Amino acid sequence: MRAILEGIVLAVLSIAALWGAWQVPSASTGETWAGIVPFGAALGLLIISGLKLACVRRPATERAADSPIADDASLQVIGLFLLAVIYQQSLQWFGYLLPTALVAPVALYAFGVRSWIGLALSAVLCPLIFHIVFFELLGVFPPFGEVFDLLDAIRE
Amino acid sequence: MEIFPALLSVVTDPVLLLAILLAAVVGMIVGATPGLTASAAIAMLLPITFYMPPLFALAFLYVIGKSGRYGGSIAAILFNTPGTAASAATQLDGYPLARLGKAGKAMKVATISSIIGDFMGDIMLVIGVGFIAALALKLGPPETFAIYFAAFVVIGSVIGKSILKGLASALIGILVAMVGLDPISGEERYTFGSFELSNGIGLVPLMIGVFVLGEVFAQFEERRKTANPTEDDTREVESNKSFDDGNSLTWQEYKPCLPHALRGGLIGAGIGVLPGLGSAIAAFISYGEGKRRAKNPEQWGKGALEGVAAPEAANNAVSGPSMAPLLTLGIPGSTIGAILLGVFLIHGIQVGPTLFLTDKELVYKLFACGIFGIAAYGLIGYFGATQVARLILKIPTQVLYPLIFLTTFVAAYSARGSLFDVTVMTFAGFGGWLMRKYDFNVAAFVISFVLAKGAEETFRQSMLMSDGGALIFIERPIALAFLLVGLAAMAFRIRGIMKDRKLASGGLEDA
Repeated sequence: MRAILEGIVLAVLSIAALWGAWQVPSASTGETWAGIVPFGAALGLLIISGLKLACVRRPATERAADSPIADDASLQVIGLFLLAVIYQQSLQWFGYLLPTALVAPVALYAFGVRSWIGLALSAVLCPLIFHIVFFELLGVFPPFGEVFDLLDAIRE
Repeated sequence: MEIFPALLSVVTDPVLLLAILLAAVVGMIVGATPGLTASAAIAMLLPITFYMPPLFALAFLYVIGKSGRYGGSIAAILFNTPGTAASAATQLDGYPLARLGKAGKAMKVATISSIIGDFMGDIMLVIGVGFIAALALKLGPPETFAIYFAAFVVIGSVIGKSILKGLASALIGILVAMVGLDPISGEERYTFGSFELSNGIGLVPLMIGVFVLGEVFAQFEERRKTANPTEDDTREVESNKSFDDGNSLTWQEYKPCLPHALRGGLIGAGIGVLPGLGSAIAAFISYGEGKRRAKNPEQWGKGALEGVAAPEAANNAVSGPSMAPLLTLGIPGSTIGAILLGVFLIHGIQVGPTLFLTDKELVYKLFACGIFGIAAYGLIGYFGATQVARLILKIPTQVLYPLIFLTTFVAAYSARGSLFDVTVMTFAGFGGWLMRKYDFNVAAFVISFVLAKGAEETFRQSMLMSDGGALIFIERPIALAFLLVGLAAMAFRIRGIMKDRKLASGGLEDA
């Protein structure tokens, strides 16, 4: 089942990539087509997905021994990924300090830290230390929150 | 010999020496920490090096890579957990030695053998790289494309368990690299009308995502699979205090290891020049060859000091020569090489045969830093490996990984001050985790991503030279030879897998 799914995912990816390459306008005289390499790579991927699906034809008993596609731990990783997506999006809305102060204890809790003092400290220390290292010492300009920016509020 | 003035220049620069020392310590700690890799550390530190002069940046990351390879042996011997894939071969005899109360001896053998291997590799690099660069200057676009093609095929088919998945990973890497404006015609490719995508996918966020965030996701999954995720991993070394005992190593004890270390050094250096093969293959070949030639093969696997010397020398000997294809052809032979290529590009240095005309001094100074790096990790490892092991035991992983998780976001942002890079990093991290989980080849993906632009450029130049005919790659003997090398490497790999399958009476799936 897993191998079939992998083959199908690769096939879908390659067809999408073929379609994308086909959208590239044709080359003017004396030039090479800009879509030639993406098209070739996508075609190669389609052939591989075909080979992958062709290789899956095995006895049912053997297929049954395949590992599950997703288990509980995988779902929890997806949960952590969603936290990452929310965090990166909230950096745009709320700047660096506030989202980091909220996400740091959540991440620590997810990895097994259960000390409430530790979690509370992380909400203060993580944004502070990262801010000092990257935005003060290295001189990187911090992301500005479009909706609300704690750093802006502190500075005012 | 350009290396001698370079060595003199480095030795008279105390700040650079301090950076090398720091890199040696960082690399050793990272390499020895199970779950952390030198690639991950280098990817994460990459944005910080934007603010350093090029030599400092390159030397710092290069020495972390070298020291990280060695650091893997500490975890393999003391924790029975290889810190890197290459040190899995060291674990075969290293951990039984630790169980016999000879952890100190095993660590010292690993250190001396690593130094021997690494020095051999670096000497070969220093001697050989100039010749390769001179030859590379004579290659035209068809030959260069054929080398790229061979690299794609070798990297895709030789690393990892499955050829199909390896090649698929390489092709996905090429497709991701194609996102953005075509550098020749300016046409948009896979941009879907997005302005951010028209600038392409950045190398730094992609690497931080795949190597660092992807690893954090993988470690998180591992922890959730254990019965009690709040319990920190009590590594077996807790009950194994043997690294305090039997610390001294006599010449009589090391003497039988020396031929294995020298042979391992040669094997590692030879394999290192070939893109994609890497330390793990070198270490296992050296271990197998050492056991075959050993006077005491029955002792190997049960605690033979020679069984530590052979893979460790080979593992570290890969480091120097793996820089040769990167510096002379712009083809990284390893993931660390791919990241270093990023550093060169970030600092506006064009890697390839012309590098030896434009920045020769920098290259030799980098080699000199590598030699000092070997000395630094050798000294720290010989006298302080047990202290490093104790330090690693004190690192609470349930705190370490969330901190790395948070660092990835700010590191990805710092590269260009772009929140789009943070988005790229986040999705690359998830993609990296999926690739690891389903046995796709992360190294092939990243190396292909890095190579794709150069390969495309040389391919299209060749097409223009031949008025659109692909026969140019067959008519030119050097190009044809490299195309055949790539196909032969894949054929050998398929043959090897088929042979193994026959022995195991398995199916075709993994081929």
